[in-house]
Amino acid sequence: MMKRKPLVEDIETYAQDIVDTVREPLLMLDTTLRVRSANRAFYQTFQVSPEETENRLIYELGNGQWDIPALRTLLEDVIPTSSVFNDFELEHTFPIIGRRVMLLNGRKLQAGHHGELLVLAMEDVTERRRAEEEVAKAKEAAETANKTKSLFLANMSHELRTPLNAILGYSEMLQEEAAERQLDEFGADLGKINAAGKHLLALISDILDLSKIEAGKMELFLESFDVAKMIDEVASTIRPMVEKNANTLHIVVAPELGMMRADQIKVRQGLFNLLSNAVKFTHDGNITMDAGRQLMDGREWIVFRVTDTGIGLSPEQIVKLFQDFTQADASTTRKFGGTGLGLALTRRFCQMMGGDVTVHSVPGEGSIFTIKLPAVVGEAKPEAAAEAAGVEAVLASPDDGGGDGAEPLPPPATCVLVIDDDPMQRDLMQRFLSNEGFCVRAAGGGEQGLRLARQLRPVAITLDVMMPDMDGWSVLKALKADAALSDIPVIMLTMVDDPERGFTLGAADYATKPVDRQRLSRILKKYTCPHPPCSVLLVDDDPASRAMTRNILEKEGWKVSEAENGRVALECMERERPSLILLDLMMPEMDGFEFADRVRRHPEWRLIPIVVLSAHDLSGEERRRLNGYVESILKKAGDSHEALLHKVRDLLDDWAAPRAMTLPRGEEKRATSA
Amino acid sequence: MPKILLVEDNEMNRDMLSRRLQRKGYQVVLAVDGKSGVEMARTQAPDLVLMDMSLPVLDGWEATRRLKADAATQHIPVIALTAHAMSSDCEKALEAGCDDYDTKPVELRRLLGKIEAILSGGGMASGGESAS
Repeated sequence: MMKRKPLVEDIETYAQDIVDTVREPLLMLDTTLRVRSANRAFYQTFQVSPEETENRLIYELGNGQWDIPALRTLLEDVIPTSSVFNDFELEHTFPIIGRRVMLLNGRKLQAGHHGELLVLAMEDVTERRRAEEEVAKAKEAAETANKTKSLFLANMSHELRTPLNAILGYSEMLQEEAAERQLDEFGADLGKINAAGKHLLALISDILDLSKIEAGKMELFLESFDVAKMIDEVASTIRPMVEKNANTLHIVVAPELGMMRADQIKVRQGLFNLLSNAVKFTHDGNITMDAGRQLMDGREWIVFRVTDTGIGLSPEQIVKLFQDFTQADASTTRKFGGTGLGLALTRRFCQMMGGDVTVHSVPGEGSIFTIKLPAVVGEAKPEAAAEAAGVEAVLASPDDGGGDGAEPLPPPATCVLVIDDDPMQRDLMQRFLSNEGFCVRAAGGGEQGLRLARQLRPVAITLDVMMPDMDGWSVLKALKADAALSDIPVIMLTMVDDPERGFTLGAADYATKPVDRQRLSRILKKYTCPHPPCSVLLVDDDPASRAMTRNILEKEGWKVSEAENGRVALECMERERPSLILLDLMMPEMDGFEFADRVRRHPEWRLIPIVVLSAHDLSGEERRRLNGYVESILKKAGDSHEALLHKVRDLLDDWAAPRAMTLPRGEEKRATSA
Repeated sequence: MPKILLVEDNEMNRDMLSRRLQRKGYQVVLAVDGKSGVEMARTQAPDLVLMDMSLPVLDGWEATRRLKADAATQHIPVIALTAHAMSSDCEKALEAGCDDYDTKPVELRRLLGKIEAILSGGGMASGGESAS
């Protein structure tokens, strides 16, 4: 006995030394939450002495400044049931050391004759949190500032152009007058004013175009046009410039060039830009523009190539070439003029149309710039194929040409259809979902969306609520009225670019009111819980329609609870979590939109399927109201684009993915009815 | 001498275009907003109307719709002047009943071509192919 005691003391000193070396504050508590010991870091961090700490209850420490409700919860509710916990975040204002954010880790351990001890480690993350918040704030501020700048510039367009137009117009008039009166020396000077004004206008247009792209306001206006004719027109515009530098221009157009469908103004602008660069950087040389049709990856492309024998570009210059506001060389601006935006714009335009511009160059020998664009820029490939085959006249019934497309349709079982009028948003959604492994088709409007839905039978549809000619509600109604399409899950969503936010009405299904018994019972079958009776929450402000729906639900064996608006419904859900929600959209106090949004933000409720009940025939007024609700949700709680895209993916994973694995449609019906 | 009614709210644009048209031998009458444009078309009976689209009181689309709905003025050809080279604006103009359109800033030679084509009974000189 006498020999063993010093050994125990040695071990305890050794242990305490280790504990004191740890930089995190540590507390050793016994099972009654009394402090057995603390480490040096604890005393230093909280500026207290061992006398005020040891053998006291944790809540008494430092005159009760450790009596923190969240800590009580943790120690009294969590600890007894689990022996370890990690990263419990505690935020508290201590009288001496001020506000602190701490991450608590705890572990119960058996400490020999000390009995059971709880080790509480406190990591001070106050500074880290503050830094994170600041970074987030700075990022947001920078993004807002950039957006504001782009919007401002986009809106300035008119203001800048109006006075310039007066300068251009009057100088042109005076030129005409000078010519009539044979005042030649005036005419020459007036011509210079006019030319400088035109130059300025072109520069301003470039800057404005780029800010429009950045603000997400650039649109494509697709039309079909004769490519050779367009090249001719561009060439005749550029010819005076060609002659000025003693260059020769050759135009080589393949005989089968034919028509293309694209934004003609933007194609023109791109070609003009390539040609004017070639002319600018070449003297006494040759400039060749050739154009042809090529088949690549099963699609038809129009390829334009501008070759010059000019000064050429070094690899370093090529890297900078397509960047906004960067010319190959700072001195280039002084020597050759221009904003340095031309190529950046050309690239953006080409990319908007699904193509690109590339360059190949050898310094001192010349450059080759190539623009590659789809022969038919647009949304749906079946239609694209039909148009390229020259059957544009039968556009009204594109089904005829759809099957003849060179590219086979992908297996419909994996396709998601994106219906959105905004090409940028459509593109964004398309790219995101493709990256997530979905096969994606897109439609730019309601009519086309419905047509594609019938052709493709997608596993799910994302549908923009607010579209100009046929809004989301009308499309939804048409989808749900078509027996072949009514079972396809539809995710109603809308994205706006200012502010950059979006909203999704994460509904699993839709039924129209008055509720059709057969349709509702079909929907209910899909969401039956494993152990009936399943509970369903019916949220509707109209007592009569509630009673009717309740009747159907009870006959189907569901346990029904009711709420007359969103607020009451949320209260109900706190008491009992339903396995399904039937939701009316237009309700007083808290409407269906806000309710759905709240449910989707709640981690435990997120996955409860919501079936939306909407009025059978929406009047224009009702539609405006619905859109108004969406707008107000956007204002209150809109998601960032990124958050929205992830929500959409989650919804698709939940609803669409299992279907993708089921049998083809006919089989599926048999399987469910069996 | 053909008479042209120019409906344009911007003073400088009105001044420039009217003087240039006069120099080309047209008689020009002026209106500064859509509403007075419609009235002038009735009282002055011009051979052609040049209609700016973004006008105060009554915009150019609505003014054109009224001209085309009125038996007294519906035969008068209307050329829309749209501020933006945006095809949606041009299509809207054709939908409202305009016979042709041209984009601002005005390029006089091009506009004169369109005016002459319409006055000589040639109908539309350009555009419209994308409207249907």
